[in-house]
Amino acid sequence: MSAHNRGTELDLSCISKIQVNQPAVLRRAQQLQALRSVKKEWQAAWLLKAVTFIDLTTLSGDDTSCNVQRLCYKAKYPIREDLLKALDVHDKGITTAAVCVYPARVCDAVKALKAAGCTIPVASVATGFPAGQTHLKTRLEEIRLAVEDGATEIDVVINRTLVLTGQWEALYHEIREFRKACGEAHLKTILATGELGCLTNVYKASMIAMMAGSDFIKTSTGKETVNATFPVAIVMLRAIRDFFWKTGNKVGFKPAGGIRSAKDSLTWLSLVKEELGDEWLTPELFRIGASTLLSDIERQIYHHVTGRYAAYHDLPMS
Amino acid sequence: MAATRTSSRARDIFATLEYGPAPESHACALAWLDTQDRCLGPYVSGKWLKPDDRSSVPCQDPITGESVARCLQAQPEDVAEAVEAARAELEDWSRLPGARRAQHLTRLAKSIQKHQRLLWTLESLVTGRAVREVRDREVPLAQQLLQYSAVQAHNQEEALAGWEPMGVIGLILPPTFSFLEMMWRVCPALAVGCTVVVLAPPASPTPLLLAQLAGELGTFPGLLHVLCGPASLWSVLASQPGVQKVAFCGAVEEGRTLRRTLAGGGAELGLALGAESLLLLTEAADLDSAVEGVVDAAWSDRSLGGLRLLIQESVWDDAMRRLQARMGQLRVGPGLDGAVDMGARGAAAWDLAQRYVREAQSQGAQVFQAETVRSTSPFFPPTLVSDLPPASPVSQAEVPWPLVVASPFRTAKEALAVANGTPRGGSASVWSERLGHALELGHGLRVGTVWINAHGLRDPAVPAGGCKESGSSWIGGPDGLWEFLRPSGSPARQPCLCGNLSYEAFGLAASPAIPAGPEAGPSAPYGLLVGGRFQAPGSRSSRPVHDSSGGLQGYVAEGGAKDIRGAVEAAQQAAPGWARQVPGARAALLWALAAALERRESVLVSGLERHGVNPATAKAELQLSARRLRLWGARVQAQGHSLQVAEMRGPVLRLREPLGVLAIVCPDGWPLLAFVSLLAPALAHGNTVVLVPSGACPIPALEVCQDMASLLPAGVVNVVTGDRDHLTRCLALHQDIQALWYFGSAQGSQFVEWASAGNLKPVWVNRGHQRAWDQEAEGAGPELGLWAARTKALWLPMGD
Repeated sequence: MSAHNRGTELDLSCISKIQVNQPAVLRRAQQLQALRSVKKEWQAAWLLKAVTFIDLTTLSGDDTSCNVQRLCYKAKYPIREDLLKALDVHDKGITTAAVCVYPARVCDAVKALKAAGCTIPVASVATGFPAGQTHLKTRLEEIRLAVEDGATEIDVVINRTLVLTGQWEALYHEIREFRKACGEAHLKTILATGELGCLTNVYKASMIAMMAGSDFIKTSTGKETVNATFPVAIVMLRAIRDFFWKTGNKVGFKPAGGIRSAKDSLTWLSLVKEELGDEWLTPELFRIGASTLLSDIERQIYHHVTGRYAAYHDLPMS
Repeated sequence: MAATRTSSRARDIFATLEYGPAPESHACALAWLDTQDRCLGPYVSGKWLKPDDRSSVPCQDPITGESVARCLQAQPEDVAEAVEAARAELEDWSRLPGARRAQHLTRLAKSIQKHQRLLWTLESLVTGRAVREVRDREVPLAQQLLQYSAVQAHNQEEALAGWEPMGVIGLILPPTFSFLEMMWRVCPALAVGCTVVVLAPPASPTPLLLAQLAGELGTFPGLLHVLCGPASLWSVLASQPGVQKVAFCGAVEEGRTLRRTLAGGGAELGLALGAESLLLLTEAADLDSAVEGVVDAAWSDRSLGGLRLLIQESVWDDAMRRLQARMGQLRVGPGLDGAVDMGARGAAAWDLAQRYVREAQSQGAQVFQAETVRSTSPFFPPTLVSDLPPASPVSQAEVPWPLVVASPFRTAKEALAVANGTPRGGSASVWSERLGHALELGHGLRVGTVWINAHGLRDPAVPAGGCKESGSSWIGGPDGLWEFLRPSGSPARQPCLCGNLSYEAFGLAASPAIPAGPEAGPSAPYGLLVGGRFQAPGSRSSRPVHDSSGGLQGYVAEGGAKDIRGAVEAAQQAAPGWARQVPGARAALLWALAAALERRESVLVSGLERHGVNPATAKAELQLSARRLRLWGARVQAQGHSLQVAEMRGPVLRLREPLGVLAIVCPDGWPLLAFVSLLAPALAHGNTVVLVPSGACPIPALEVCQDMASLLPAGVVNVVTGDRDHLTRCLALHQDIQALWYFGSAQGSQFVEWASAGNLKPVWVNRGHQRAWDQEAEGAGPELGLWAARTKALWLPMGD
């Protein structure tokens, strides 16, 4: 993975004058969904690319080493080999971008991936995921432990209380601490946009998270009632562009939660392409957090290659 | 092997992640054209006409230049046949209960729904515009329009009592247009009970398809006729007996020429001209969203014209950077590709844009076109022009599609001055997150439509139109219906052409004034009411006024061109203040004027009696006059309302705004009542007035002027007496008068219509007909209120 975003000093002037017009962003989001249809070979290639952006995720109370192991195997072989051969991409080393698990399952994942002989990074959620309502001390400790266990990417949740009460400085310092606790691991900051109240807050929180040194900003935990939506994404992508223009640092973007269909994933790709350009379409700067998306993509690729719709048993489960 | 080719391509795409072609099949459009052997005749009375000896024009795909069909060009006799059929159908259609008409329109909406793929592929194929725009926006909007019109037809007896359909409507469409332009006008016309003959440009299959869909509903085949033909047919259509109105949309100069040609003709003319739009980007805006607004306004295939973009200086650099970055993401390509933003619109549009760009560059402007965007002919890339010197000739011209001309402004006040400083008055958007700021700008803009933090939204329920050179006809909402209605019982319009009327000489011959004997009776007030006080005319001469028995009653001032100039200046000066007054305050002054009128009863009544009015009638006339003043004062308090629309959350305000300076030439008859009946609605709606009173009996009006001079703010009413033809000439040719009402001779009416082409002011003329001013319908009907103000639709999206 690329170099870290070093972050900048806290500069509140970046967020003090910002205006986000919700109805206009909603209109743009609606347009974007019908803006670029991608068909045939293009669709197949785009879907394969989408696979390489996936943070294959399991975040359930009943996770055990058994299903984590299966997940890791699927991450390594996301699409059936014969389908990849038919598309002449079997030598491209297509795997998902990472696997994402709870801190307590990091060891299982690291072990499974090692056994499978691959270098897919393990991402761990942390800092009192999903609510973030625990003491700062334990939240930081959680990060350190996950890193010790071998996680190289940490998905932290921000403290929504600080956003809703306008304590931007405190938020900046908290994320700074997270950054330090991560050490060499990458920091992905979950904004939990469904709980921030308005799009202006989404922009401000994005900016603060980037200034504090996040390598990625991520829409949601997947546990809120409102997850990754296009309007929210547009605001975050615009913030990423503004930060890039201001500092020259490229920060990544990760939508997560509720992305289930192959068609959705295409829209997400074109959304990033439209708002930020092709440079962002790499696993270093774009991830999709998802669990069931992969199987739908595989089905679509099956259909593209064979011309038939797959039965449930045609594709291996994850 | 085919499989290898495709798979290796997927491999390449996997690396580049580029967009591929997403072609929409136009097989059904071609199949439809094949049903006519690729040769489309006029569609009249539910049948395709295929006269043998007609020339034909190829209809080309603007992308490939390939001819997809030929359109037979109509001849005058075809137009006559269509109008005749429309007249015949009118008998049944207009007498039908509204509910039945509503049913028929609903069936047409269904029919469009069934054939929508054909409609959108055909439209995109022949116009070259992006299919996404046609498919996702225009076709659904066309259906909504029919649905809305059906509902209006259903309610007609109740909501539009007192109005009747005009008759046969002629619709003239410009060469580059969307089929929606036709639907916006055809739907309301049919709904209120008119029948329509459409004259489409030489090669335009989509209107013909719509006519076929309407014709094949089985019943009422004579409602909608479509003919393709050259511009020479425009006046042929307008002069067919029975055509009561011609609705024209197109370029400003064409509209001007048509206005002159049709002066005095039988048909009323409704103009919707130009396609330029305006966007005001303030420092309080969400810049990225505003940039999307610019895309909607100029670089999507939504709009027909270019955009004038005003950016506040403090965010100029930031906004320009964002705009240029956004331009790099636009995709230009074949219209039938589902993933392009902009198609191509044929050679004429390309030339127009190229000429503008070249001229702008030669005058020192910066022109930006993104390198990544396709720019080879026939495609014209999205273009951003800046640093265009404001005084250069090209910056006065209308901005063509797909250009955006950006210029900076410093303050809100300056933005308004710049924005209102063009002859165009179509649509504009204001981008600001500060509510008060946005509303101030929205109210101050002199245009027909203002969107706050949005651009290009449309809804069947919301009127859209313009002012100034954008023409004063309306589409959508109640205003769109009134375009095709007239007060019940008004006579059908007949031509009032005077073959020997010389436009150059009308009203120029001066009648010398000499002393005409001793004045009988009390002396009347002398002078012209200009800027709140009586003053002597510039000519320093007078004209005699005689009573009914032929005796000399007195002298009034002989006003001339200079007096008109002074009066208009005074009225312009008073206009902002008068318009700012709340309707209640204006009403209070009208009521005070009514009371003053009653106090002056004896003088006014005796003045009328000297003109042969019997005492009882004179008294009634005075009382009715006072009542009219009070009536309009009260009526105008309930102006404007808010509408709900489908496309966005939040209200759309339908505002009624003053026209500005309104010139009124009063009829000779009813010297007091007509004068007051015209003045009252004009003032109540916030206009300032330059008025020419009755020529035969100007004294009562001058008497009232004495009260107005003391009651009303200076300049709100200006009264000029003199030779009526001469004064009419001065008023009609004046460029800074926003509207003119003329009640006089047929010749004068014709002249006024001809002269109004100058600034395209709306004119209301009586064409030599007498009006029953003492009747409620003609003297104080809602018609007057419609003429006295203009509509503005203010879109207020909400959400957080």
